[in-house]
Amino acid sequence: MSLTSIGALGARVVGSISGYIHLENPVWVESKDPKSRSYTFREMVPTVPAQYRKLSPYIPKEVAIGLFGTEAQKPGAPITVRVGGGRTTPVMLVAPPGTKIVFHNVDSFEHRLYGVGMKEFGPSNTGRGAKREWTIPAAGTFEIRDELAPSLRMWVRGEPNLMEATYPNAKGEYSFQNVAPGEYEVQAFFSGEKVGPAARVKLANRDVGVPPIVVATPKKDGEKSD
Amino acid sequence: MLLSRFWYAIIGIALGASLFLLSLAASIHNRAMRRVLGEGLSADSQVVSAVLKDDARTRAAHLIKFAVDGTIAKALNQASQSTGKIDPGHRDTIEKALKKISQDIPPDQAFDAVFAVDRGGRIIGAIGNVSTHGTEEPELGGHPVVADALHGFVRDDTLVWGRLHRIVARPVELEAGGAPAGAVIGARIIDDKFARELSARSGAAIAFYVSGSRTAAAAPEGFPKTSLDQIVTDLDKVTQDPDYLEKGRSGIREIGSDLAVQYTRLPGEAYSLGAGYAVGRVSTPVTSIFGFLDAADDKDKESVSWPLVLGVAFGALALGLIMSFLEHTVPLRKFAREATALATGKVDHLQPSKFRGVYRRIASDLNDGIDKLAAAQGGVSRKAADLGQVLGDLPATPQMAAFAVPDSGPADSAPATTVPISALSTQRNLPTPPSRNLPNPPSRGKPVQSEEDWPGVFEQFVQTKIQCGENVEGFTYERFRETLIRNREALVQQHGAQEVRFAVYVKDGRAALKASPVRS
Repeated sequence: MSLTSIGALGARVVGSISGYIHLENPVWVESKDPKSRSYTFREMVPTVPAQYRKLSPYIPKEVAIGLFGTEAQKPGAPITVRVGGGRTTPVMLVAPPGTKIVFHNVDSFEHRLYGVGMKEFGPSNTGRGAKREWTIPAAGTFEIRDELAPSLRMWVRGEPNLMEATYPNAKGEYSFQNVAPGEYEVQAFFSGEKVGPAARVKLANRDVGVPPIVVATPKKDGEKSD
Repeated sequence: MLLSRFWYAIIGIALGASLFLLSLAASIHNRAMRRVLGEGLSADSQVVSAVLKDDARTRAAHLIKFAVDGTIAKALNQASQSTGKIDPGHRDTIEKALKKISQDIPPDQAFDAVFAVDRGGRIIGAIGNVSTHGTEEPELGGHPVVADALHGFVRDDTLVWGRLHRIVARPVELEAGGAPAGAVIGARIIDDKFARELSARSGAAIAFYVSGSRTAAAAPEGFPKTSLDQIVTDLDKVTQDPDYLEKGRSGIREIGSDLAVQYTRLPGEAYSLGAGYAVGRVSTPVTSIFGFLDAADDKDKESVSWPLVLGVAFGALALGLIMSFLEHTVPLRKFAREATALATGKVDHLQPSKFRGVYRRIASDLNDGIDKLAAAQGGVSRKAADLGQVLGDLPATPQMAAFAVPDSGPADSAPATTVPISALSTQRNLPTPPSRNLPNPPSRGKPVQSEEDWPGVFEQFVQTKIQCGENVEGFTYERFRETLIRNREALVQQHGAQEVRFAVYVKDGRAALKASPVRS
């Protein structure tokens, strides 16, 4: 997802994230708690190894990678967010304040999105195929929910210095295209928060590889798969 | 009339007691009914919950057939390698396999829709009612139930995709020990058909609801299914039930006059959307003492001991009739006979002493009326001319015992009535003896009775007549005295007695005088 055209002849910033297997989707974690009454039974399939039973996020939609400059950026073009399948796409969005977000309902039933604690983005029905717009008001983290689909949760991060944002593939690899020479920072976001350290990048007319960003580490007391 | 009145009192008390017992019975019945109803509804709710869970497990078991299908697993694995446009070949392969496997599932356990998703949650292939999700890159990966399946779990959920859906999902593995290639998801719409199947299995009347609307309902035969529509009016209130909010199951709630329900929140994502199901039972409270008649069915009525009921009813009726006959019909007939005798001239007056109670009074009044009528028509007054009527029957002969015991008072004193004057009422306008100093009335200790004692005898005679219900109007002491003199002279002459003693007594219910010759 290219937010800003940095330069027609710019270079690429290539990198990857690691440790994302240790991230946990908060919605799914809440759902597995028996107290949530989300199921009548939930049993593991023994032929699936434990390492795959961790409720790690689907990073192509849930982990956003931001490229930051040293100065505040103007809002870019409107960003379309698909609403369907029990979540938004993307789940984590990073953009400069003032950027317009267009929520597009691709389900065949209504959604009623609202911003948590945001009076200007109260609950309102969005019918099948309909769109609803909202503009990031300021820097900070904003959470979007749906009154008709409790598992749908989205986070929007308003970052003034954001130049571009992208998403990794399923292997954690990402890249920024056509980046003008200069000094940048690369930061990963998940569930509205920064994850992992920011990586500094100095670009001079050729592609630059960013050292792998470790977005999460195993819990000290040992992680449970379920 | 005493027996009849006593019977009326018994009837009244029995009626009151019956009403009291009926009221108690109604209250006890309603209390017991509520308890039984509550237990029944709780049982229904738990059975439905168990059936829902069992249904989900059964359907999840059917998903194994999809999950172990190599064609599906291979296609999903290949689709998962790319985040680009979905290969139509993969879609066709998967959907053919889904259809083929679905045909082997029994109809009552079949899915309304089956989805096969890749590791990213994208719908690669689907069959059945899949219109709930758009055609533009449809996916299901955000739902926790799908995420769990993609992470190696099998579980169920209840989702609101416009309509309520029961969902089961499980992973699809290409090979054991590897990451799931994707997941397969089965969906069953909670509609009337589903509710009917559930009702048939659980025996409960059940209605599903979400967002304040009833979405599906079914009930066993004989249960008024439409009454379940009433839950809509109660859904707002049930959300204030602490048990419903905290435990997911409400207490017993009565809706209208004849429906009791218990609400249970559906497990799954729909739990927080206010989705649930209500089980209902028809309640039959007895709202009045006659409500038993409405609540009873033919079997109840057959169990009644009709011989006992009819026996008591007819026994009471017979007893009342007997009492009425004895105390009403018999005296009335007797009075009627006497009245007939009077009308036919067999008697010229009624004898009040033959009657009791009010009839005696009526007879006396009739006699008075006859007398007044006769007097008004110039006839001879019966009272003045008839000594017997005035004095009662005189003994044909003096009683010999009276002569046998001189100075011992009247030997036949037992039937004589000696009522103290002071004890008698003087309220009425009674005839009075001459206003002179009169001696005290004769007493048992006074052997000889002189003419000076007659005022006392007169007064005693008048009081006795009053007590017997006879008319004393126009009855004067002078007339009384003349009669006594004539009788005294006749008896003295007949028996050679020195004196005659008169005593008042009652004969056949009438006041009478007995004359006893006394020899000195």
